Amino acid sequence: MKKIVILSLVFGLAMVGAFAADSQIWGEMRIPNILSYGQEQSLKLGALFTMLQNHYFGKIFLAILVLVPLVFFVHYKVIGPKVFSHEGKKVYAFDMFNRVVHQIAAISFIVIVPTGFVIVFGDFFGGGTFVRLCKNLHGIFTIPFAIVVIPMFVMWVKDMFLHWDDIKWLMIVGGYLSKVKNPVPAGKFNAGQKTWYWLATLGGVLMIVTGAMMYFLDFKIEMLNNITGLSQIDLLRVSAILHNVVGFAVVALFFVHIYMSIFAIKGAIHSILTGYKEEEEVKILHSSWYRKLKEQGKV
Amino acid sequence: MTPNTSMRFYCDESRCIDCHGCEVACKEAHHLPVGVNRRRVITLNEGVIGQESYLSIACQHCSDAPCEQVCPVDCFYIRADGIVLHDKDKCIGCGYCLYACPFGAPQFPRQGVFGSKGAMDKCTYCAGGPEDTHSEKEYQLYGQNRIAEGKVPACAAMCSTKALLAGDATSVSKIITERVLRRGSGRGASESAMWNAAYK
Repeated sequence: MKKIVILSLVFGLAMVGAFAADSQIWGEMRIPNILSYGQEQSLKLGALFTMLQNHYFGKIFLAILVLVPLVFFVHYKVIGPKVFSHEGKKVYAFDMFNRVVHQIAAISFIVIVPTGFVIVFGDFFGGGTFVRLCKNLHGIFTIPFAIVVIPMFVMWVKDMFLHWDDIKWLMIVGGYLSKVKNPVPAGKFNAGQKTWYWLATLGGVLMIVTGAMMYFLDFKIEMLNNITGLSQIDLLRVSAILHNVVGFAVVALFFVHIYMSIFAIKGAIHSILTGYKEEEEVKILHSSWYRKLKEQGKV
Repeated sequence: MTPNTSMRFYCDESRCIDCHGCEVACKEAHHLPVGVNRRRVITLNEGVIGQESYLSIACQHCSDAPCEQVCPVDCFYIRADGIVLHDKDKCIGCGYCLYACPFGAPQFPRQGVFGSKGAMDKCTYCAGGPEDTHSEKEYQLYGQNRIAEGKVPACAAMCSTKALLAGDATSVSKIITERVLRRGSGRGASESAMWNAAYK
């Protein structure tokens, strides 16, 4: 692990050195970069990015920051949490490897998401040292997430494909709109968890890639320019737009994930800390998985 | 303040001889670090006989400054005379202004062991920054403040062919129009793509 970190640091520094010598933005490439701004045949990404960042990105992030918790607050007050006994039998759901991988990703997200908000609302915090520190933390904590995102993808992928249960789950919104504890159709992971899984892994990789491009800024990967047909600066503009748009979804579902694990299903977070889920919880919220476990004689 | 009295740059393509003197004047005047060139001369249609031309570009101090619109920490401010400046103490080096800029003007000197982007640097129209005028800090962060001394920017002041013009919109347009009339050919300021990108 240490080796990987050192290697990536050395690689990073080597790239920085290489960039200075052959700039993709301020050197020879400046002309295609400038021409890509407003020419008829160009995608006008500069103007598009300016418009989106100026008028929409901040407002959408603010709406997510306010509305998602508000909806949960109302849900908590009106319908209330699902409470399952933590005294009864338990089902072993997550092994040590699952938990370690998840916790590394969790710690990364706990830093990346709030620091991301600080950057988006940088004017509110007045810029300067604090926001700059958040920007640097936003980048540094991407490294642990980047290390675990592929193991996380691999370890859970077999449970994450679409299943009939998921359609049924979506039709009743996972049973979260009712107070009654009826068995909910879901395997080891329900449709909501699956959505979050695909977004956090595939979306997460997209966030890492677009973020890294904006971090390194002046790099040279000709293949990228050739495949996309974009100038260096247009690649950065696409990165900035994608990073924000995918960010909306990641942030919104991250809030959902936290609400579900801590509040909506009281104490469900213990399952990822200890590895054991409450049997009653599995019976109700993951009824298909429970049936399967029963057939195998595991419960 | 009407747009006609706002400060503008204009590079007369028919006069620029690709000497790069403006780049050097700027770099020397402000003691810019290695790797940072606030002004650059670019060659258009390079190698195409009869069509090659040179343009000196820096921050054009756009009237609708896109950089100012996208900055997440609001570190930009536009002076009453149209000069677009920014506060390096506020800047977090995110790069958004570069993505918004039509001219590729904002630059980011790398800082620290991680080589992360430092505070943005760009042409100040030789008007310093938000620090006290002619203070040591202003000089260190932004370079000379020639505007406060009643001088034109260093680049335009040294241009040997007077291709690069700096001044208020009316005066610059007037000079270009006179030149076009005298030569009997060429384009007026308002027909230049660069002028329109920055000031339309």
